[in-house]
Amino acid sequence: MSATRTRHGGPVELPFQVLARQSEKMPPCQARCPNSGDIRSWLGIIAQRGRNGLSLDEAYDKAWRRLVEFNPMPATIGRICPHPCEDLCSRAEKDGAVSINAMERFLGDWGLSRALELPQRATERFPESVAVIGTGPASLSFAYQMARRGYPVTMYDKDQQPGGMLRHAIPDYRLPRTILDAEVERILALDISLHSNVEIGHDESLQALRDEHAMIFLGLGAQAPKYLGIPGEKGPGVIAGIGYLRQHKDLDEIELGAQVLVIGGGNTAIDAARSARRDGARVTLVYRRGESEMPAAQQEIDDARQEGVEFRFLSTPARIIRDRDRVRQVEIQGMRLTEPDADGRRRPEPVPGELEQLPADSVIVAVSQMPGWRAADLGLDSESWLQADDEGKLERGLFTGGDDLGPGIASRAIAQGRRAAESAHAELRGLAPAPRPRTLRITHESVRTDYYADRPRSQTPRRPEEEWLTDPAVEIDLTLSYEQASEEAARCMSCGLCFDCQQCYMYCNPGGFTRVAETRPGHYFVMALDLCEGCGKCIELCPCGYLEARDTAG
Amino acid sequence: MVEGLELLTGKAPKPHKGEAMALEDGSRIAVIGAGPAGSMFSHFFLSMAETVGLSVNVDIFEPRRFCHRGPAGCNHCGGIVSESLVQRLATEGLSLPDCVVQRGIESYTLHTDVGDVEIATPLQEKRIAAIYRGNGPRSSEPVDTQSFDGYLLDLARNRGARVIPRLVTDVRRNEDLMTVHCADQFSDSYELVVVATGINSRLMEMLENETAEFARPARTKTFICEFHLGRDVIRETFGPSMHVFLLDIPRLEFAALIPKGDYVTLCLLGDDIDENLIDTFFSSPEVRDRFPGGVIPGHVCHCYPRINIRAATPVYGDRLVLIGDSGTTRLFKDGIGAAYRTSKAAAKTAVFHGVSAEDFKNYYAPLCRRIDNDNRVGKLVFTFASLVQKSRFARRGILNMAANEQQQVDGPRRMSGVLWDLFSGSASYTDVFLRTLHPAYVGTLLWNLVAANLPRGAGRIGRDAERGDDHVRH
Repeated sequence: MSATRTRHGGPVELPFQVLARQSEKMPPCQARCPNSGDIRSWLGIIAQRGRNGLSLDEAYDKAWRRLVEFNPMPATIGRICPHPCEDLCSRAEKDGAVSINAMERFLGDWGLSRALELPQRATERFPESVAVIGTGPASLSFAYQMARRGYPVTMYDKDQQPGGMLRHAIPDYRLPRTILDAEVERILALDISLHSNVEIGHDESLQALRDEHAMIFLGLGAQAPKYLGIPGEKGPGVIAGIGYLRQHKDLDEIELGAQVLVIGGGNTAIDAARSARRDGARVTLVYRRGESEMPAAQQEIDDARQEGVEFRFLSTPARIIRDRDRVRQVEIQGMRLTEPDADGRRRPEPVPGELEQLPADSVIVAVSQMPGWRAADLGLDSESWLQADDEGKLERGLFTGGDDLGPGIASRAIAQGRRAAESAHAELRGLAPAPRPRTLRITHESVRTDYYADRPRSQTPRRPEEEWLTDPAVEIDLTLSYEQASEEAARCMSCGLCFDCQQCYMYCNPGGFTRVAETRPGHYFVMALDLCEGCGKCIELCPCGYLEARDTAG
Repeated sequence: MVEGLELLTGKAPKPHKGEAMALEDGSRIAVIGAGPAGSMFSHFFLSMAETVGLSVNVDIFEPRRFCHRGPAGCNHCGGIVSESLVQRLATEGLSLPDCVVQRGIESYTLHTDVGDVEIATPLQEKRIAAIYRGNGPRSSEPVDTQSFDGYLLDLARNRGARVIPRLVTDVRRNEDLMTVHCADQFSDSYELVVVATGINSRLMEMLENETAEFARPARTKTFICEFHLGRDVIRETFGPSMHVFLLDIPRLEFAALIPKGDYVTLCLLGDDIDENLIDTFFSSPEVRDRFPGGVIPGHVCHCYPRINIRAATPVYGDRLVLIGDSGTTRLFKDGIGAAYRTSKAAAKTAVFHGVSAEDFKNYYAPLCRRIDNDNRVGKLVFTFASLVQKSRFARRGILNMAANEQQQVDGPRRMSGVLWDLFSGSASYTDVFLRTLHPAYVGTLLWNLVAANLPRGAGRIGRDAERGDDHVRH
């Protein structure tokens, strides 16, 4: 509001001289995505295809290409991501968040079924060779982003097969290995060679690698399990969550016995519990806080319960009771949550005297993981996480990303790999580091959700419950149909970016908006400011918050 | 006149001999726009269809929400409804509750440079009503009022109309049906399309560009803004009176301040109102004196609505009819009354006669012609009014005559009646004009012209509307 401006021949304040401006803002999905995925953009390609002259097939192809700019493994991430992007979706409180994760999965499967090739960024080839240690999501992301920029990349993995935790710790019922194989294969098909069964720091020294390559990326992960440190824990019958999942996936013979206790409340604990059900055991999951405090995704908890996993909340194991060597019972200490502390956190504390013995033939401990790399000559302290700058740089020519910086979800690892690659590329080419795009975030108030017609969230198809446990490898969630995906994309409100609702154009009294000849999402109209009469109607009508008032003070 | 709009045109295939282009059970009608014309049409149409046992579906396309405050939920008008129209609507089953109609304007106060006069309600007309077309000005607090347009739309909805919150961007003839296309790529076909978008939407322009034979209504720019002064201040300074200004400002035909609750609406009508004209208006002492301390506060909300000053031609085609401002309306005043008349006539034609261009020509167009003819007289009346505005001599006479009439306990109030009907739109322009030709009116006006302009003559009385005391002003 201008306090000094006078008009109308006297000291008259004109408080609302609005001149609208077009301003793209960051939508909540992108703000919440660890990989800053431009979700609105690839959904918009599909939703707005008709007005931009694309068939649905063409729109899916184009959306996939946009999606893989940041994430070369959408079929994989679309299956396993806990999708924080959906948490603050403007649609969430209206009729359910847009099924972003299911859309990502659909497009991922679409790309595989159409054998679409990952888009290159450069045609030129650079001489500097790049080595990537590890083949988990961070490493694959880094390798992809470097290879598509024109660098020859060599990946090293101590295992036979690439994929890291995606391969070894995610059960088949959530991520079929055919999907992972296909997406890894497609990345490796760029100029990337893979050296399997080579452990750097053991089979080959890091120094040798540094002599050979201009750039090194460490994707070491966090592969050492953490144990509870309680009496009776050491010995047969007590197994770490990730170790168990790996054995389960590799179809190793595992003797779990009839009754299994799983300790922990994260996704690894749930994965272990549900896998143990598939191995035929009775399973009780023991967690020290309540259900609502569980870090695992609610859907996973519900599904586990559906499969017969029992839950013991507010309980923590105090000791493991063995008969000779065999686990017989676990003594459980009852817990309660304290009043919220200064940070609002409620901590679990033991309830004196509340002890109980639960029968158990084996115990799966899935409480946390540690760095635990075996690489003495890396000069790294295996007890603590790596410390890198925001771009993952450890020193010149040495970058890192993924769980070796501290545990996180796979899409964060992909983001770290991508950002490290952008930074490594700038270093190798002597470019100024690309500034992080700082886009103004859209506020909930500026999205007029009542403008949008109700469209219920698409139901992700699922296999019938009675089939869930019959084959341990059978996938439970299925992919949206061709038609469903198009419907779901149309639910995106395009927060903060013009999607051609045309209200400004149709209702501007002086006709100040002109349609552009070549339209694309976000680019439909131009404004003629000299025609603007300042009524502000376009801003108030704009449902997505793209139009905003220009500050006319001064 | 062209009988079918040719894009719109490409006439519908002619029905076989003896077969009328009429609606039947299951017919679908699209109404584009949910202003008063669109909602009243839907209401009348569904009521009439019911009386003849016709089962039809009405879809009203309206993407905007009248519950929004500010211009997004508003249909840009001064918001004056004459009591006679309120009563007429009530007899049609469109009774407007008090929360919609902010009754309480009981007089007009005419302000000129030679004095003011307050004209009380004529006996046969009780009051006039101020309304908000939307849900009040930008950032206004919820008050005990409701949107006029929103209320009418609810009535139509209760009659069975379906409201589709989509923006129509095109209408096309599609073989023997009309297809409505929306911004979100939705489209649907209808047996009849009723265009009631008004002229502050681009649809009419698009139809004109695509149809050689069709001319959309001619428009001019007006100005409306809202001042927040608070209920108490308004009661003290404006009273229950609408303040009309007769000022010598070129291109300004009508200017009024209309009190509504905590706000005062300013409405400027004329020929292409622009910022210079507004500046001139606000600079005039007659206007400044209306506001507390002679200072015009900043306004909270403003817009420059376009109004229809010449009808569209034609206003119908096969399976297509234009009602309200999209077709024709009364010049400057009583647009809602015109919406009522055109929507009812169009509904009647569609239900009882048919939906061909011929049907609308025979049963709908005559009403539009009557309105257009009356507007021609209206233009004459306003030309005369602007002559008065230009002449201090004439202003004195008129003010004197009205003031004298207001002093009388009874006796004819010819000038007051003319001014009242001119300001409120309660009577047709032809009626107003004929009354000014009455020998008694002419005679009295002549006497007043002389009396008011005699040096220090008797009877140059103006009445200060605020203080209520009689005084003489030069």
